[in-house]
Amino acid sequence: MHMANELLSVPVAAGTFAAAGIGLGVVCNRVKQTISTDQLGLMGILGAFVFAAQMINLPLPGLPGTSGHLIGAVLLAILLGPHAGALVVSSIVMVQCLLFQDGGLLALGCNIINMALVPSYLGFALYRLILHQTHDTWRFNLAVMASALITVLAGAILVPMQTALSGVLTLPFSTFAWTMLSVHLVIGLMEGIITVAVLAYVRQIRPDILSHTSESSTAGRGKLLLVTLGMVTLFLSAFVSLYASDRPDGLEWSYAQRPDQPAFESMVQAHEQAKALDTLQSKYTLLPDYARRPVPMGHINTEDATVSAGWTSFAGVVGSLVTMAAVWGTALLIRKKTPNL
Amino acid sequence: MHHAHIDKFAYQDSPIHRLDARAKLAVTLIATLLIVALPRFSPDLAFYTWLGPFVLLVLGRIPIQFVAKHILWALPFILVLALTSLWYDRTETTILFGPFQWHSTMGWLKCLTLTAKFVGSMLALTALICTTRFSDLLMVLQRWHVPEILVIQLGFLYRYIFVLIDKAHHTKQARTLRTLKRLPTKQELRIGAAMIGSVLVQSLDTSTHITQAMQARGFTGQWHSPRQFHIKPADWLFMAIATLYIGLLLHLGSMY
Amino acid sequence: MTAIDIKDFSFHYPDGTPALNRVSLSIEPGEKVLLIGPNGAGKSSLLLAMAGFAQGTGSVVVEGLKVTKKNLKAIRQVLGCCLENPDDQLFMPTLFEDIAFGPLNMGLSQAEIEQRVTQALTTVGLADKAHKPPHHLSAGQKRAAAIATVLSMAPRIITLDEPDGSLDPRRRIELQTLLKSLTQTLVIATCNMNFAYALADRVILVDHGQIVADGTAQTIMTDRALMETHGLELPAL
Repeated sequence: MHMANELLSVPVAAGTFAAAGIGLGVVCNRVKQTISTDQLGLMGILGAFVFAAQMINLPLPGLPGTSGHLIGAVLLAILLGPHAGALVVSSIVMVQCLLFQDGGLLALGCNIINMALVPSYLGFALYRLILHQTHDTWRFNLAVMASALITVLAGAILVPMQTALSGVLTLPFSTFAWTMLSVHLVIGLMEGIITVAVLAYVRQIRPDILSHTSESSTAGRGKLLLVTLGMVTLFLSAFVSLYASDRPDGLEWSYAQRPDQPAFESMVQAHEQAKALDTLQSKYTLLPDYARRPVPMGHINTEDATVSAGWTSFAGVVGSLVTMAAVWGTALLIRKKTPNL
Repeated sequence: MHHAHIDKFAYQDSPIHRLDARAKLAVTLIATLLIVALPRFSPDLAFYTWLGPFVLLVLGRIPIQFVAKHILWALPFILVLALTSLWYDRTETTILFGPFQWHSTMGWLKCLTLTAKFVGSMLALTALICTTRFSDLLMVLQRWHVPEILVIQLGFLYRYIFVLIDKAHHTKQARTLRTLKRLPTKQELRIGAAMIGSVLVQSLDTSTHITQAMQARGFTGQWHSPRQFHIKPADWLFMAIATLYIGLLLHLGSMY
Repeated sequence: MTAIDIKDFSFHYPDGTPALNRVSLSIEPGEKVLLIGPNGAGKSSLLLAMAGFAQGTGSVVVEGLKVTKKNLKAIRQVLGCCLENPDDQLFMPTLFEDIAFGPLNMGLSQAEIEQRVTQALTTVGLADKAHKPPHHLSAGQKRAAAIATVLSMAPRIITLDEPDGSLDPRRRIELQTLLKSLTQTLVIATCNMNFAYALADRVILVDHGQIVADGTAQTIMTDRALMETHGLELPAL
């Protein structure tokens, strides 16, 4: 579910990076205003706790042989509140990127939005809305379950959305989206079950930890409703519009198989235009080296014109390989001679 | 244990390790941007991006086998997505590659490019992380005006990940040692949740102690930092070479 | 001036269990005092009370300053407190930053901070590890580092909670040598009788939240009946 650099175009990567940066800045500001000294250590520890909890795999009910683990965004939002929760989960995503190389450096913006900001706020809003000042265990479990499931799905659907906006993958949005949704339906249910079970354990052993979360911030129900509705509307509209827009994509390759169709060329050109939104990319997309679009299928331009280009790549690739081998070999030799270097 | 080794190479010494963390982070960011911007149907260009980080890794004395294992481990997700291009982009094309020439589809080119780009950006990030201490990266973030509270949070997180992973590992071992057979799913779930819950409760106790340790040393909410930076001639040289390399790739990319 | 003066101090855990029951004791400057007693006897609580982390009844006075919220800042410049688990004590990404944490909070100059950190690291024998993160240190090195975080603040009193925990015999003897060389007033809680015997100017036996015996190591730690009543063993002499 971690977004990779390569699935993004430059404008989408830059845009999400900026959006996440601004969002995170606002979150930091909010946390800074309300935090007490003893919460500083608590936030750090709870972030590290999520990494530790992910070491413990649990069996997926109904699917023998498979297992899942905690994601933790909703759990942290409940324990710490949405602002501190969002900050902690963002820091987790950053460490996952930097130390464990989950998700790319430029995709960090997307990952912070998908896995930290949206889940924390949406999850907390849903949790508070459903719980609504009651202390009933059944309702509490339902609130936790629903918010965990929905936030996982919301985060998951953002990945194909951002990918579709980037236009790097040929995979149609709808296929990618439904795959992500069905996989994350299982993951989300699992997340819900684990979160409910962990919170039930905590309630039993240390009820003091949870007591403060239910009494605080009972106000602002309207605000919560607004947050939830706003996010859901945004998701729905983006989903519908992307779903509708990827129809031509689906058509495209079926035409591509029948180049005799007269509509083919205009179709391909329309597709190229869509890609031209991204100026840097569109500048690069055409590659004479490989005698490609918008040339009609079946015959290549003139081979003579492209032969030299073919040799350039060949020389480049072989040259790079030789260089790498030489650098590595030399280093190994030097090290063998002076082992303490 | 596996986790203790993720950043073990960052504490070695080499000319690359000694480079300024700001220069390394900036170059890695720009190189990643370049990789994202490179054409989508040119595996050769994407492949050239391997060269720079590879040289850094070798000069930084990072075992290539370690890096390769790390990358292979992360590959499946992107590979599955890359392979879908084979299905969805069957536009035929002829590929000329030196003495070789063969018929293929644009999907293949795209798949290869995507994978090569992924490996390229993974190599760049690995080169950064394996030759730079995490605390130095935090220093850079602070210098670049990332909110202090986020930098503090990242510092705590880095410090306690390893402590708590060990705790979870011990809990897990204790559980394994007493496991004779697999219990019904419902019971397994309850036990798993109790294990996670107990790590959580321990974590909360730890946080109380940390707060005490901080207050005992005069912490009253005001965060101070001892961090300082000095940029050296070697850093300028590194940045110059990196600029040339990235510029060359950018030039090659724009020729297409 | 008395280093630490405690009068009639009682303290309950949040759940109501009594931890300390009307404890009175006074420690002179330069004394090395070892608190011994079984697990859960109240040794840690007593150390926490000295550092101002236990709110109870009675009074605790450190170098003439009564432990109150107002005086805490001043007291913490005088009294350094080293917690039981070095992982709790070392919370910064590198040793250098951790050991500089106290001096930075004291508002010292950059030059003085660096000098103090280097000195503290040299004292505990970790000068070459300044820029390592704590998870790259061994258990013994973490102990030493935890002590350095307190030393860098140059306190006149240091309290240590089980500093010998999980150390092998060689590391423990190194630690003994280090602690012996310190001129500060030391208050150390331990369950290891050999360690206590080797270090103590004065031994205080604590059990059930009360002081049971107070005297020299020779008089208390060789009294088999007294030691065994409180679940302790005699040191191997």
